[in-house]
Amino acid sequence: MGDFRRTMTSSMLLIAALTTVPVFGQAVVGEFVPDIGLDLSGTWNPLLHEDFLERIPGPELVNYSGLPITEGSRLWGESWNASRLTMPEHQCQVHVSPYIYRGPMQMRFWTERDPQSQKIIAIRNYISTYEQNRTIWMDNRPHPPAWAAHTWMGFSTGKWEGNILTVYTTHIKQGWVRRDGLPESDQATLVEHFIRHGDRLTHVSIVTDPVYLTEPLVKSEDFAYNANAAGNWLYPCEEVEEVEGRPKGAVPNYLPGQNPFIMEYANMYHLPLIAALGGPETMYPEFEKVIKNPPPEPKDTLALDEITPMPEKNMAQSPNPTDGEVHILPVQGNIYMLVGAGGNIAVQVGDMGVLIVDTGLASTADKVIAAIHKLSPEKPLQYIINTHVHPDHTGGNEKLRAAGVTITGANVTGDIADASKGAAIIAQQAVQDRMSASSATQKAAPADSWPTDTYLGDRKTMWFNDESVDIMHEKAAHTDGDSIVYFRHSDVIATGDIFVTTGYPFIDLERGGSIQGELNALNNLLDLSISKHDEEGGTYIIPGHGRLCDRWELIEYRDMVTIIRDRIQAMIKKGMTVDQVKAARPTMDYDARYGADKGFGTTDGFVEAVYKSLSKK
Amino acid sequence: MKRTLLFLGLAAASMLSTQVNVYAHHSFAATYFEDKTVTIEGKLVQFLYRNPHSFVHVEAPDDKGEMQTWAVEWGAGGQLSRDGVTRESLKPGDHVIVKGNPGRNPEDHRVRMQAITRPATADAAEFSWKGVVQ
Repeated sequence: MGDFRRTMTSSMLLIAALTTVPVFGQAVVGEFVPDIGLDLSGTWNPLLHEDFLERIPGPELVNYSGLPITEGSRLWGESWNASRLTMPEHQCQVHVSPYIYRGPMQMRFWTERDPQSQKIIAIRNYISTYEQNRTIWMDNRPHPPAWAAHTWMGFSTGKWEGNILTVYTTHIKQGWVRRDGLPESDQATLVEHFIRHGDRLTHVSIVTDPVYLTEPLVKSEDFAYNANAAGNWLYPCEEVEEVEGRPKGAVPNYLPGQNPFIMEYANMYHLPLIAALGGPETMYPEFEKVIKNPPPEPKDTLALDEITPMPEKNMAQSPNPTDGEVHILPVQGNIYMLVGAGGNIAVQVGDMGVLIVDTGLASTADKVIAAIHKLSPEKPLQYIINTHVHPDHTGGNEKLRAAGVTITGANVTGDIADASKGAAIIAQQAVQDRMSASSATQKAAPADSWPTDTYLGDRKTMWFNDESVDIMHEKAAHTDGDSIVYFRHSDVIATGDIFVTTGYPFIDLERGGSIQGELNALNNLLDLSISKHDEEGGTYIIPGHGRLCDRWELIEYRDMVTIIRDRIQAMIKKGMTVDQVKAARPTMDYDARYGADKGFGTTDGFVEAVYKSLSKK
Repeated sequence: MKRTLLFLGLAAASMLSTQVNVYAHHSFAATYFEDKTVTIEGKLVQFLYRNPHSFVHVEAPDDKGEMQTWAVEWGAGGQLSRDGVTRESLKPGDHVIVKGNPGRNPEDHRVRMQAITRPATADAAEFSWKGVVQ
């Protein structure tokens, strides 16, 4: 015990000596200047003794105490298996801006000024943990539209409030509330206050997540100014195959009620389970009374068919324009995304002309034509590719085709004989079959909207505008005629409705879709895409509906669909009927983000489609 | 008490250091049984010297005697570098003895390194390392 006391005493003295805070005003740097605010420039080291056990060794499983999480978040966390982080695509997952300041490595601030006025345009922040670059715009620029891509750090704007830098951040990727499996959704926003006291910097963050938090989560960390910054500023992360032999597409997860570690943290600290499971009530002093007289512990954790069926309202912001107009979003390379026309439209523009993927709704075709003309006032639309048959992606075919030209044959015949027929429409054969045939529920589409150039096999390739365009058939996924379109040089993939950010995948069983085909397609998309740095950038993904994405969103979406498939498969194996499965709400942890009870592609419709698809012999 | 001492020691170290280059992208408590140890002995098949953590893969029998490929998680490149471990310290084919915390998912055959030894051979000197992977 004597040794322990000596160690404690010497360690505390050491920490105290090293953390002595100079009186404000004594510091040579860091004084508040009225015109430009407080200068944060320089290197800062985190003071890791604050919340050390959570920040460095890491939180225990099912330790959700004191966090205002929703029921959906709790189920997400209980289903989370740490083995998921052994998957190559998860190894370099960056901590999002609301979490990364809890990391261990040093960071640097500097300012960027207008060369003429010397006014601050932006405050830059490099964070060594995961090598993240953050920009806090100080020039009152607006935040990007809802359909723009998200990043780990998000999009930040700042202002001085006295000597406090207050920062507002949107467009953050999905990440952690706590890295034992508690999610923070891509709908979260962040308010931060950076407060400098001489050689100390206090960072206060307030996260609002309408999907997984019942109320804002407030945290703080402190940093020490480091005048002698040296050492390693890099943290290159490389993904590898950590676990050998895992089947392709498998996503480790615990089925509801089968997490063997539910009680571990509660037992370790002699807490009632209700305290370990968190929730807003565990944040406040009144909860002490509950701990003193806790409700009886459940004899067993939730059984497979006993997911608490809490209705979770979809809390996600619509990623669509609200002004009824078609908007243009530059993606990268030759590619643009048009939003507001029903399904998203990819536009490739170059010296040879224009190629588009999908044509949106019939009602917005004129606006789409106008948007294409803005992007390419001189060169004509030559190619239309349809990703699938649905009218929110093919509705504009007739008008768009008429607005374009086909130049094939010109070199042979000496005149542009086909040009008057309009642009060529390329699709997998099943799209033409379905558009040209009437069914009991739908009339055939007008003949001028049908694909003119179909392919029968797995793939069609072409070279247009100085890049190869790879059109790949995904069998029996969203429908039986799905194509994904990969612009190789621009490094952009248009997915059609195989991937959307607005809801669960719509598995159109009537038109040949299937859950396994959907998962195969999502995994194939992951195989094609490569991140630039730590699961960000690189290949960009234009979903059938929703905002622009990169590989990370595909990963999380594939994981979700796989986990829900696994649950429904287990329920079928148990003999549950489709109604019992729907009532058990196997999607509960995702409903606040993706659920819908009306319109095209409801939660019940998705669950039923998965059930029926898996039940097919 | 062990956790408190670790906390105080590392907190003090973090103040002295210009930066701390040891960090788990995941939570160790969530990934491994920190109160259990396992020893495996076999042939090293791969040494991945990298971030967020280095790995050695070892072909060795499990407790039923069946051969498995074990993924042993080691320190980040920076931590190993400070400890004098380089990319050349170990090579495929080395006979190694590894002690560490077993992973929570037995089917992953995962271990958090606590110690590794390569006994001396005619071609190579003895190599040993032990420490705390953070």
